[in-house]
Amino acid sequence: MTTHRTIAFTLNGRPVTAHAGNHQNLVELLQGQGLFGARESCAQGLCGCCTVIVDGQAVSGCLTMATLADGADVRTIEEPQAGEGGLDAVQQAFIETGAFQCGFCTPGFILMSRQLLDAHPDPTDDEIRHYLAGNLCRCAAYPEIIKAVRLAAKKRRG
Amino acid sequence: MSPFELAEPRTLKSAVKLLDAGDESVRVFGGCTALMLMMKTGVFQPKRLISLRGIEARYSKVTSAGDGSLRIGALTTLAALGRAAAVKKRAPVIVDTLRTLSNVRVRNVATLGGHLAHGDPHMDLPPVLMALDAQVVTAATAGSRTLAVADLYTGYYETALARNELISEVLVPARAGRRAAYVKLTTRGADDWPTLGIAVSFVTDGKVLSDARFVVSAATEKPLRLVSVEAVLNGATVDDALLARAGEAAAAEAELVGDARGSAAYKTELLRVHAGRAVRKALAA
Repeated sequence: MTTHRTIAFTLNGRPVTAHAGNHQNLVELLQGQGLFGARESCAQGLCGCCTVIVDGQAVSGCLTMATLADGADVRTIEEPQAGEGGLDAVQQAFIETGAFQCGFCTPGFILMSRQLLDAHPDPTDDEIRHYLAGNLCRCAAYPEIIKAVRLAAKKRRG
Repeated sequence: MSPFELAEPRTLKSAVKLLDAGDESVRVFGGCTALMLMMKTGVFQPKRLISLRGIEARYSKVTSAGDGSLRIGALTTLAALGRAAAVKKRAPVIVDTLRTLSNVRVRNVATLGGHLAHGDPHMDLPPVLMALDAQVVTAATAGSRTLAVADLYTGYYETALARNELISEVLVPARAGRRAAYVKLTTRGADDWPTLGIAVSFVTDGKVLSDARFVVSAATEKPLRLVSVEAVLNGATVDDALLARAGEAAAAEAELVGDARGSAAYKTELLRVHAGRAVRKALAA
């Protein structure tokens, strides 16, 4: 047993290795890979700015031990998408509705909105609010964010 | 956070062996959300952590027996618990409680065993499981034992678990006509830590109540059964006067403590008002 080790994982579809300490978190691990879209903000798992998708599930990067990413499929906001400009329907909808001001929380909101729409393709406003309750936007773009998720749902249905 | 070793055993038995009866800085974890918070603030500085994520898959499963009882592996995530058809059918109060228990990301990784073993009196499921007469099965080098969730908590962040003992399963008995509800009162967001938690359950023919359980949490050192409220409810028919008496009994018996989410006086008034509403919620469940 050691305090540090070399781990191998898939990062946005690409195999990578990294030297990580058990005391580091997933946000720090991603920063070491040059990715800064997952941001540690509240540091308590409350705000959603550090959202990362690990093996298909949303997690708080700030509460995830870096070494537990060993062997995992890790996806972040930097992953190129199939739509126009490398953006997906959710990202396009956030831009079209102006669902952000400073943008600090936006990666987390977009990743969580994708998870929501994967599970519930046509959510009600209440379902959107409930699902995104764990994401905080200090610019308070909440009305536009809800509009963006509704628009994204429509775009995804084609 | 300071460096620590990480062990990833493949079996429950080997996980138990890695625990050290004499060293409290060696701990097991499931989702590690609560421990991460303690490590980040420096409250807990482990020498070694033991991940339970790789142990036998049966400890992550929910099974229901023919009699309607549930056997829930301690490694079951809160998200999986909320999705389990057997839980929806046999103990819907658990699913209702999970709706506002933290957020999607935490529920995706946090486990039932960790939630119970943490011993924080603000946790939502301990009072609910106490009201359902649930038990935990533990594993230790000395062997396995079963104890009531009601007997698990000995104080503020203190449990009856030995340092080389861990929770392996949770048992929820068949409810046979029992109705239950949890009322979570928060002063900020709905998914915040509770200011006060009230779990209630009873058997009823739709009119008269019997075998009531009334548990209060988040304003006490540990989740606490209020037997005087149960005495008021048992054998009674629900009406406004009865529920007012239940609220007065609760306020008189409970010695609540204040915290950042409300003073003791405020929480006591919440309890007085919401005791009856919790009973109404259970009746409608």
